[in-house]
Amino acid sequence: MKIIVCIKQVPDAKDVRLDPKTNTLAREGVQSIMNPYDQHAVEEAVRLKELLGGEVTVLSMGPPQAEKVLRQAISCGADHAVLVSDRAFAGADTWATSYTLAKAVNVIGAFDLLLCGKQAIDGDTAQVGPGLAMRLQIPYVTCVQKVRKATDTGLVLERMMDDGYDVLALDYPALLTVVKDINEPRVPSLKGKMRAKKVEIRKLTAADIGADPACIGLPGSPTQVVKVFPPEARCKRAVFTGSLDDQIGQLVDSLQSYL
Amino acid sequence: MLIIDKELCIGCGICESACPFGAIAVADGCAVVGDGCTLCGTCVETCDPGALKIEEAEKSAPLDLASWSGVWVYGEFRRGALAPVSLELLGIGRRLADTRKVPLSAVLIGSETGDTARQLIAHGADTVYRIDDPALAHFTDEAYGAIMTSLIQKNKPEIVLAGATAIGRSFIPGVATSLGAGLTADCTQLAIREEDGALLQTRPAFGGNIMATIVCPNSRPQMSTVRPKVMQALVFDAERQGNIVDVKPTPEQLATRVRVIESVVSEEDNVNIQESDILVAGGRGLDNAKGFTLMRELAASLGGAVAATRAVVDAGWIGYPHQVGQTGKTVAPKLYIACGISGAVQHVAGMQSAETIVAINRDKDAPIFDVADFGLVGDLFEIVPKLLTKIEEHRKS
Ligand SMILES: Cc1cc2nc3c(=O)[nH]c(=O)nc-3n(C[C@H](O)[C@H](O)[C@H](O)COP(=O)(O)OP(=O)(O)OC[C@H]3O[C@@H](n4cnc5c(N)ncnc54)[C@H](O)[C@@H]3O)c2cc1C
Ligand SMILES: Nc1ncnc2c1ncn2[C@@H]1O[C@H](COP(=O)(O)O)[C@@H](O)[C@H]1O
Repeated sequence: MKIIVCIKQVPDAKDVRLDPKTNTLAREGVQSIMNPYDQHAVEEAVRLKELLGGEVTVLSMGPPQAEKVLRQAISCGADHAVLVSDRAFAGADTWATSYTLAKAVNVIGAFDLLLCGKQAIDGDTAQVGPGLAMRLQIPYVTCVQKVRKATDTGLVLERMMDDGYDVLALDYPALLTVVKDINEPRVPSLKGKMRAKKVEIRKLTAADIGADPACIGLPGSPTQVVKVFPPEARCKRAVFTGSLDDQIGQLVDSLQSYL
Repeated sequence: MLIIDKELCIGCGICESACPFGAIAVADGCAVVGDGCTLCGTCVETCDPGALKIEEAEKSAPLDLASWSGVWVYGEFRRGALAPVSLELLGIGRRLADTRKVPLSAVLIGSETGDTARQLIAHGADTVYRIDDPALAHFTDEAYGAIMTSLIQKNKPEIVLAGATAIGRSFIPGVATSLGAGLTADCTQLAIREEDGALLQTRPAFGGNIMATIVCPNSRPQMSTVRPKVMQALVFDAERQGNIVDVKPTPEQLATRVRVIESVVSEEDNVNIQESDILVAGGRGLDNAKGFTLMRELAASLGGAVAATRAVVDAGWIGYPHQVGQTGKTVAPKLYIACGISGAVQHVAGMQSAETIVAINRDKDAPIFDVADFGLVGDLFEIVPKLLTKIEEHRKS
């Protein structure tokens, strides 16, 4: 089994917030972490490898410091790491990102399974996985909550829906995006950590993957951000007074329109 | 590329503190851009001297934008019913279409759709493209995607909207990729830009901490998925006239490589928390799984559904479909009652766009009170039963 997992480095949500006074984004010491869903994707890949044999390659498009999350994935059991990094990728939306990742996958070579997180927590778009599958012309399943059965030829899966779940079967090659219910990611082993320190990360530039400059970065992105602004502030919190019973009474009065 | 005009830069550092990615820094009295830059443009807006500029690279010749016309809505049909968000989409779709002076169409894909096409018309559609085939009884990304893609290629609508549901967020990204179209996920506001008729798509990013407005200047159609519960449906008008166009799918479109073995409606998860007007949410303050009995009682009394934090989902007290937050669902109900929830950023990210938030927590310093409109400090096991009684009393009086 050859498995490729796409992982993204994202700013940690708890550090990204608006400064209520200046209405600008306070970013004091914004930490970067591996996108939480991608940790589950890495874990699932490693489990499948342990079950069926083979190897796991983690792939990220991002700035040089994204190396950190690739090493983290190695420490959790991935075998190889590839970083596609180039200033020309800056400003990529999901369309340009899926193009770039597809080009990189072609350079990595044959694979059976591609795994992505359901979405990246910075943009929350959930579009890169399906986009990548379309470009590689392979079937995909999003929001996989369970792998019921895995063999050398294919998988039986549960896909989370709004009203329950669907049970699906497919053959390789295919792409899945996973939700956090699928597994509990392991903590890195000591051996894994050692390997992560030493592992050589393969670096690819836009030229290395043969990317068309018109399809990457800002020029390759059909969507463009024209404005960024703070969300409307919530109204001031009402404070109730009196005994607890009185307070509950006041609450019910305030909620009248919903009752 | 982000270009910094060294002549104009005064080294004030405002851009440095504004950058969400920490990608710009002042060195030797002048801003310097680093590798983390995503060209989001936040810094450009904050720069008073106008020293920052995003240079758009040469575009390949834009396609013939004017030949794309009309607004389309995907009418999501599953298990014999239309998803409520589809009617909300028709509401906003009608407004956009009227502003653009173009027709509004709906696409209905499924099996045994009955009079659903009529319903779509009564809710605002001028035309309904109906693809009704037994092979489409179960949703599959490939078949639904292939049909949608080919209809769009043939009819060339300028705008395509779909619900940001499990289904919409799964197959629409595939359609957009095939079409080479821009797609904006999870929009909460849509409007037409006056100068050029472009669709202004506004959505929350970074867990709702910032809002971003996005346009697709050089590609068509302009595609968005839209969050349930933020747009207003039009009133049902049985008199409204429209056409129904039946389209037959080709065998190639129906061939899919993913086989549906079964489709399970889970008893407990049957209520989609994203579609509920009222949510009663429980956290670790409930002590154990039994605590959710109280939450269900309150939800039942209010006609709402039950939501939860990650902590209690991980503890197995309730299923993952109920989880609200960064790694769960994003909800925007009218009323959100948070019981025994501390209000961690990852949770708040998923619920801060609720219209009214009530927090019940015994710790007066819990961060949930920072986003709450109404807060009660105290023991939830004392407060919630009393609240239930008061609601009953209120109803009777
Ligand atoms: C990458 C990542 C992603 C995450 N994603 C999510 C997500 O999607 N959703 C999410 O919810 N969390 C998420 N979390 C977890 C989040 O950080 C918090 O740990 C979680 O939200 C806490 O849940 P809680 O409020 O139920 O529990 P706690 O933080 O333990 O809070 C319990 C609260 O109950 C109060 N309480 C206790 N007993 C009573 C009582 N009898 N009466 C009244 N009040 C009482 C306490 O004062 C306390 O404030 C994520 C974390 C990480 C790192
Ligand atoms: N720059 C990137 N590098 C590698 N993988 C990515 C990148 N962006 C997105 N992905 C993958 O696509 C998934 C969905 O991301 P998104 O569509 O941005 O929400 C993530 O969970 C990753 O698995």
